[in-house]
Amino acid sequence: MMRNDPIKHVFIWPAVLVVLAISIFPLIYSFTTSFLSYRLIPPIPPRVVWFGNYVTLLQEPRFWNAILTTTLIAFIAVGLQYVIGFGVALALNARVPGERLFRVALLLPMLLAPVAVALVARMIFNPTMGPLNQFLSMFGLANLPFLTNGHWALGCIIAVEIWQWTPFVILMMLAGLQTLPEDVYEAAELENASAWQQFWGITFPMMLPISATVVFIRLIESYKIMDTVFVMTGGGPGVDTETLTLFAYQEGFKKFNLGYTSALSFLFLIAITIIGVTYLALLRPHLEKSR
Amino acid sequence: MLRRTFLMLTTSLAVACAASQANAACSPDYSGVTLTVASQTGPYIASALKLGADEWTKKTCGKVNVVEFPWSELYPKIVTSLTASDATFDLVSFAPAWLPDFVPYLSEMPKAMQSGKDWDDVEPAYRERLMVWEGKIYSQSMDGDVHTYTYRTDLFSDPKEKDAFKAKYGYDLAPPKTWKQYLDIAEFFQRPDKGLWGTAEAFRRGGQQFWFFFSHAAAYTNNPNYPGAMFFDPETMDAQINNPGWVKGLEEYIRASKLGPPNALNFSFGEVNAAVAGGQVAESIGWGDTGVIAADPKQSKISGKVGSAVLPGSDEIWNAKTKKWDKFPEVLPAPFMAFGGWQVAVPKVGKHQEAAWDFIKTLTSPEVSGQAAITGGTGVNPYRKSHTANLELWSKIFSPQEAKEYLGAQADSINGKNVALDMRLPGYFSYTEVVEIELGKALAGQTTPQAALDTVAKEWNRLTDEFGRAKQLAAYRAAMGLPPKN
Repeated sequence: MMRNDPIKHVFIWPAVLVVLAISIFPLIYSFTTSFLSYRLIPPIPPRVVWFGNYVTLLQEPRFWNAILTTTLIAFIAVGLQYVIGFGVALALNARVPGERLFRVALLLPMLLAPVAVALVARMIFNPTMGPLNQFLSMFGLANLPFLTNGHWALGCIIAVEIWQWTPFVILMMLAGLQTLPEDVYEAAELENASAWQQFWGITFPMMLPISATVVFIRLIESYKIMDTVFVMTGGGPGVDTETLTLFAYQEGFKKFNLGYTSALSFLFLIAITIIGVTYLALLRPHLEKSR
Repeated sequence: MLRRTFLMLTTSLAVACAASQANAACSPDYSGVTLTVASQTGPYIASALKLGADEWTKKTCGKVNVVEFPWSELYPKIVTSLTASDATFDLVSFAPAWLPDFVPYLSEMPKAMQSGKDWDDVEPAYRERLMVWEGKIYSQSMDGDVHTYTYRTDLFSDPKEKDAFKAKYGYDLAPPKTWKQYLDIAEFFQRPDKGLWGTAEAFRRGGQQFWFFFSHAAAYTNNPNYPGAMFFDPETMDAQINNPGWVKGLEEYIRASKLGPPNALNFSFGEVNAAVAGGQVAESIGWGDTGVIAADPKQSKISGKVGSAVLPGSDEIWNAKTKKWDKFPEVLPAPFMAFGGWQVAVPKVGKHQEAAWDFIKTLTSPEVSGQAAITGGTGVNPYRKSHTANLELWSKIFSPQEAKEYLGAQADSINGKNVALDMRLPGYFSYTEVVEIELGKALAGQTTPQAALDTVAKEWNRLTDEFGRAKQLAAYRAAMGLPPKN
């Protein structure tokens, strides 16, 4: 009876219109722009190029370099965040002395703005004035080119990502660990299962659903990395640390090449979707088993 | 009751008198007007704008709000505001290279400001070239920018150093005439064990890097026999950046990066100044700020020991027309007007255009700008004749010898016969971005100078075709002061 009440439209339509206005319309507009050659500076009248922008992008080595760089940062950083974060969460869950203090202190990096973290990191990694190289020079080591060599710079960015976002993994994993039933562990102890056996046989499988979620969230977030790279290296040296978002920013807000940037954004969306779907498909059998 | 009415009348009269006196002090009266200016993050330029704002407020009772953006954000912020016809800013401060992109949205300078004593006082390089676009004036220079050479006089005048240098290189230790001499000097003073390095230049992407490279290349590519052909062929608009002159410039720029402090690849201009003022390097190139900061005892360890000179040059310059090296009877300096100095302009959509131009008049007056030029950290370098002629003004920060060399280098560079103008083209960022990327690769040894510049040239030609070759050619010729091509 209530389902046919026309009053429902009064509640539904404003919400639908808001969603259309702030989400769907810009998406459609951006999608149509991706088929245009459209520059704001210098002003060039929009011209339909159909898949021209996509073809150019796919032939552009800089695009593939950005994909590779972003993927490297995302997979290495998230992998290490997960391993370290899970380990620390296990330690905190074991009720070590001063656990509360550790818990608060370990969460602090996550509360800082990435720009501020990147600025501090840039100073720490400064080859001559930075404390890190000064410390290393005390042992007679030469100044390391932290931000001026592509490999080192990538390593520094990954290190900062790990430092800042491992607390998120700790927080989530600790919450998961605290919901695990005690009786399973008591039964395992009665069977004389070692700590390692308890971890592999009980903790890890039971934590798999939450692990999958945490890694998924961090992976998607890591693909969107921008501020840390922008402040620490600006994408350099050359384009060695240029990520997809930074590449899009350079094209969109420096060169105002709007059509090309829209195409880039959609390719980015497709890449993220493929990674997300593949990840979930690979994990599905394991997740179903752990239910 | 009567007493109260009398009191009110007296009070009103007193208030009215005070107000009229205050208004009389505002000439012209812009009380109630607040101008918003877009600037890069201070202290450079933003502090100069604030200095001008204080003077303008005293004079007109108007107010100025300086909104600061990081250097890398300034261009996008201004473009977004201008193209959206948004009246956010009453004035914008920017690089001359961006002028072609901004021109459609800027108002022309009032004719009354384009004449008189103050107008004639502006150096012709700015007044007749960098402030002009397609025959019209849309902006006013508020800073003069040309790269010059800075060195430590204590090292250069040390008899032991002089003897050792002559014994090793076979000529006297003095400010270099050629880039080879510049590199010899840098190599000679490269003493990491003593905390002294040869030279400091900007090498970091996004750290004003490519202007330093252009300064090297200008000596080999700015050919007076074929004017305006440094960046592009002014007849065809074909990119010249991969010709042998540019390659030689890049090879020497890379060599300079190896004769600097260990973190030199991470240097922007700020770090160059710090290295010079910290006494870490024997010589350096850069804008006039270097000399002013190095002379300031509060900021510098080498105060009183700062020498200046025009940039080194070459007696062989590549001719883009004949595709051969032209030999000159003597070394020809090609001082490079890197960046070209900050400019201010008034957007068409601005609500207070008259007040905005009046503010520019005060900001760039010989008195206010002269004060800004001698104040370290304002980022303002000489751009008026009066700036370099007034030795007394500069004696506040320099010793007589330092002042003589500094002002001589500035004036000789700006008025040099073969002064090289910076590139000004629509789509400027698209052209320079690829230069920055390839310079990064070449400096890191990932590619050869020739290969790096071939990539840049290919991309420049592609961009020119995309933006319209004829349109870009016309703009380039205008920027280089060449007549339109028929």
